[in-house]
Formats: sequence, structure tokens, C-alpha cells
Amino acid sequence: MRNNKLIFWAFVGPSLLAFTLVVLIPLLIGIYYSFTNWNGIAANVSFVGLDNYIEMFTDETFLESFWFTTKFTIASVISINIIGFSLALLVTRGLKISNFLRTIFFMPNLIGGLILGFIWQFIFTKGFAALGEMTGQSWLLGWLSNQETGFWGLLILMSWQMSGYVMVIYVAGIQNIPEELIEAAKIDGANAWDRVWHIVFPLIRPAFTASLFLTLSNSFKLFDQNLSLTSGGPARSTEMLALNIYNTAFKFRNMGVAQAKAVIFLIVVGLVTLSQVYFTKKGEVEM
Amino acid sequence: MKINTKLVTFLSLMLVVGLVITGCGSDNKQSASNSSDDKTKVNIFQFKVEVKDELEAAAEKYMAENPSVEIKIQTVGGGDDYGAALRSKFASGNEPAVFNVGGPQDVADWQDKLADLSDESWVDLAYTGVLDGVTFDDKVYGMPFNQEGYGFIYNKSLFEKAGIDAESIKSYASLKAAVKKLDKQKKKLGLKAVFAFPAKETWVTGLHLSNTALANEFGNVLKAYNAEEVDFEYGDALKKLIDLQANYAYKPDGKKGSLNAVDYSTQVEELFSLEQVAIIQQGNWAYGSIAGIDKEVAQNTGFLPMPVVGAKEDSIPVGIPMYWTVNKNKNEEVKDAAKDFLSWLYTSEEGKKIVINDFGFIPALKGYKGEDLEPNNPLAKDVLKYSNQDRTMPWVFMGYPSGWGMNVLGTNIQSYLAGDMTWDQLIKDSQKEWAKDRK
Repeated sequence: MRNNKLIFWAFVGPSLLAFTLVVLIPLLIGIYYSFTNWNGIAANVSFVGLDNYIEMFTDETFLESFWFTTKFTIASVISINIIGFSLALLVTRGLKISNFLRTIFFMPNLIGGLILGFIWQFIFTKGFAALGEMTGQSWLLGWLSNQETGFWGLLILMSWQMSGYVMVIYVAGIQNIPEELIEAAKIDGANAWDRVWHIVFPLIRPAFTASLFLTLSNSFKLFDQNLSLTSGGPARSTEMLALNIYNTAFKFRNMGVAQAKAVIFLIVVGLVTLSQVYFTKKGEVEM
Repeated sequence: MKINTKLVTFLSLMLVVGLVITGCGSDNKQSASNSSDDKTKVNIFQFKVEVKDELEAAAEKYMAENPSVEIKIQTVGGGDDYGAALRSKFASGNEPAVFNVGGPQDVADWQDKLADLSDESWVDLAYTGVLDGVTFDDKVYGMPFNQEGYGFIYNKSLFEKAGIDAESIKSYASLKAAVKKLDKQKKKLGLKAVFAFPAKETWVTGLHLSNTALANEFGNVLKAYNAEEVDFEYGDALKKLIDLQANYAYKPDGKKGSLNAVDYSTQVEELFSLEQVAIIQQGNWAYGSIAGIDKEVAQNTGFLPMPVVGAKEDSIPVGIPMYWTVNKNKNEEVKDAAKDFLSWLYTSEEGKKIVINDFGFIPALKGYKGEDLEPNNPLAKDVLKYSNQDRTMPWVFMGYPSGWGMNVLGTNIQSYLAGDMTWDQLIKDSQKEWAKDRK
């Protein structure tokens, strides 16, 4: 028994230590600061009670960015999963270039978010503009100069980057489906759509749970792509929650309010993702 | 078996502990072995990326003359990033001996860390007004980096071709007439538009452009810093300058709202350097960017004034972008070495040459005389010319409330351009946010 315990702690200890140091303790300090008027430089910190939380809810930019983040999250979860699933179906059909395609589709995920943001900024503002001027399509001009194009820009960027990643998860799920089931369905006369809908879908529910969780939390917490593509502009209209918190802390130097926002942000992200996992897990079928 | 598992556990624990300890410790060991302990170590944390290499070279020279001092320079660029990085530097306990502050707000924030520099020899050499932003209770806390100026940079050869005498532009009316004249000859001159107006860069609109009106309202940066409210006394003049630029600017999709996607690089490196526009609002720092694309265009530039109707119409804003400060909490030896290095850099004969020729700075201290101490680019020369003719207004935007200039006024200007906000709403909202911060 004693040995088992020692081994247990030998394995758990280091990561627990790291987790405590870089997650738990900062979290507790952050919660403490959300009740103070700290400005980011350690001098004269005083306790202000719930003032920061009250100020946060009267801050229009926070509520607006909450709404923008929600809209973006819904749109990107849908588009990333649809594209990722379609790609997964495509690369599991036994084509000769499947492996090549998988690599290509996964590739964008290997590039850092900040760099991607700048690359796509160039594509949207210069590439689109050049195309638009050549073809006379005026909707290609002036991208990222208003909320609408900023929103679509972010959505395109995220879908392009994340689809390959969730594709890999779906591929793993699809490959776990026994061949016999598909064959039996074929013999019974099920067409391609029926097979996807009645066999593949129910059997890859665990993959759905994982993909939905990843895309949901990633889209909600999006920061680097947001910062480099639009940096919240124009007029703070594409500023998502994480960036709003960062700006409050480092541009307006309201560390206390920023911490209060971050605490609420943590609770919301936790609630949304955990309930999503709970509900999708409930519907999973065991083979 | 029993002994074995115990041994394995013990060994793995030791391994982990060892890794943690060496991981944390290796840094200290290395730096300790590189230098002998009797040297005075001065860590500098500075923000001017443009002169990073030159500054390091200057430090090498200083160290060669003063072998008992060891200077280490770390550079993190950009205004906001530098502020955030400096905070984490201090929070981590790894405090630099020399760092930079921008103005009154920074001085107030960092008050507990700043050494009093009033007794330094260069204080008496400073031009009038340049120490305003860092002087509190008659104590000087910062040493000016350099002077910078901005205004409407124009392309001299395009003006010549269009038959406009730039020297005669000393008022809003004459500026507007020149702009109209250029606009009429757009085709002939090969221009896309007269201006390039980067509304995306809220520092260009919210800080620099607004400064023209607010400098005339407040008079100096400390008054702006202490003001509980902002009146926008010259708001109409500001509106005129925004409208003039926006109306005659290159717009990506033809609508004013699309100006919100025009950034610095589009403005300076693309449109101006390729001679697709004739005038841009920028500062002498843009010389490097323009010269990087086209040396000839860069040599053919100069400043037009930024006319504020009802106040100064023939001036450009000239100010100090950043100040050097010394950390009060270091020991005397380090503080003295730090102060000595800064004075050496800006007041010794060798240092002056570095400041002018290698850094390309416009000095903020007097005593830079002689042929080899002239600024070497046309924009810097023009700034000096305006300075000597007393046609300047101060920079007051360092006295705005934190974040107000870029993230309130600058973004409001974006909304105004997009048509989501009227000018009155812009003024009211900006006034409200200013007062809220100063409450």
C-alpha cells in the first residue's frame, strides 16, 4: 500500500505542483485582485468590495463584446465542425492521396495564431482588394473596415485553421467503426446518406463530444487571432472577451476590473463547456 | 522487489527535483560565471527598437572606457507592449536599473521607483518645456530621449509639378486650397488621392491628430494631466482636419468607413512611398520607412504645418516620446553608474556623435553644435527648422487619461467615419469618458 502511494505521488506530484503554481495560485490571486483597485503596479492596493463587478456590468463595451463573442462562437462551432466532418469523410474514402490530403488539411493548425492573423489580414485587405479591383466585385473591397467583414474574416480564419484539427478527431472516430456494419447496411440497400446518418453519426458521438468541446472553448477564448487580425477594430466592434479583458488591464490600466471580468469569463466558459460535455455525453451509444 | 520500487520512486523523485532546481538555477550560474563580481551591473530595459543595435554598440564603447561597469540592454518595442513587459519585469522581482516612462501618468504610476535626477548636469541643458512632463514638486525624474515632430509630410516634387508653393502654406485656408489644386490634377500627377488617412491606427487619429486641438486648449502636458474635464475648445478645427483628410483620402472601397482598414504600412510604405498620394500625417520617424522603399522620395519630403483654426495655424507638434529613468531602489553604486552612462551618452563629445549620427535623433538638449552634429535627414531637419522658428506646439497626449486617446477618441473617430456616430456624439462621449476617468 505504502509503495503504491509513493508511486502515485511520484507521478502525480510534479504535474500537480506545476498545476498549482501556474494555474491554481494565479487563479486565487486573480480572484483576490478582482476585489481591489490595483492598477498593475504593486503600490497602494486597497480593497473595494464588489465595485469592480458593478462597474463591469455597466461597461457597454464588455456587454457588446460578450454578445459578439457569443455570435462568433455559435457560427464558428457550426462551420468548423461541418467542414471538419466533411473533410474526414473525404479522407476516409480510401483515395490514393488520402494521406497527403490529411497532412495538407492539418497543416494550418501548425502555424501560430498570431502569424495566421497577420497572413489573413494581408489576404483580406490586399489580396481581396486586388481581386475586387480586377473583377469589379465591390464586396471584395474594404475588408476588415467594419464589423461585418471583421466577423466573417475571423470566421474564415478560424474555420481554416481549426477544421483540420477536428478532422483528425473525426477520422479516428470513423476508422473505429467496424467494416461489417457498413457492409451490412450496404447489402440492406442503404444509400451513402443513410449510412452516414444512421450508422456513422451515432457511432462517432464520442468524437463529437471532444470536437464540440474543443471548438466551443477555443472559439470562446479566442485571443491571438483576434489581436492580430483586427485587434478589436474598427471602433472596438470586433473585440472578443479575452481581448476586452486584456485591453481593460493593459490599455486602460484597470487591473481590478479586468480581473473581475476574467472571473466571470472563467465561470461562463466553465458552465457552457461542462454542460455541453454533459449533454453530448448523455446521448453517446456504446457498441 | 520491495527495495526496487522504493529505489525507483526515490530516483524518479530525485530526477524531478533535480530538473526543477537546475531548470531554475542555470540562468544565475551562467551570468555569474561570465562576469567578475566586483563589476557594477547596470540593467537597462528600453523601448526604442529602432536604435537597439546602435545603443548596444554605444554601451560597448562606454564599457571600454569604464571597465568597472557592466551594462546589459534589453529591448521590448512598442508603447503598450513595453508597458506590460515592464510591469511583469518589476512583478518578477527582476527590476532593471534604467527604464523608460512616457509622461506624467507613467511618472505617477511608477513614483515609488523613480530616482530624483534634478542634480544631473544635463538638466540645465534641456530646451524649455521638454522636462514639463516629468517634473513633479520641482524634482526632475526623467531624461528626454530625443525630440520628435509630426505634421503633414508632403512630397516636394509632386507639389512642384502641381505648381504649389509649399512655403506659403501657413493657414487652414491655404492648405485646403493646395489640397483642392492637387485633387484637380490627380490624373496628371498619377495620384490615387491627395491624402492617405490611416484611421485604423488610432494613435495617428486619437493621439496625434487630436493633440493639435488639445495642445492649444491645455497649453502643456501637465495641464492636460491635471484637467478634470476636456472642453474641445478647438473641436471644430479638429473636425476640419479630420474631414479634410477623410474627404480627399484614398478609400479602399470608395466609402469613408473603409478608411478604418488603412494602416501605417499602407499609408507610408505603400501609398506615399510609391507616390500614389501627396500628403500624409506622420512624424520624422517615418523617414526610415519611406527610405526603405524609395530613397529618392524620402529625400524629397518636408513638413507642412497642421493648422488649428482659431489658434496656431503655422505650427507642428514637437515633443518628447519617452524619458529615461533610474530605479530608486538600486544601490548607490548602480544608480551612479546608470546616471553617468546616460550623461555620457547625451553630453560627451563621443556620445553626441552617436546620438546624432548613429541614432539619427533630434536632440532635446542644447549644446549640439558643429558640422558633424546636424541631423541627416530632411524630415528631422524640418523639425529643427520649425523648432528654431518657434512654430511648434507641445505634445499633450501623454497627459490624456490612460487608454483614452487611442481606445476612446480614436475608436470614436472610426465610428464617426463609418457614419455610426455624429460629431456631437463623438465630442459628448469622449468628454464623458475623460471625466469618468478623472473622477
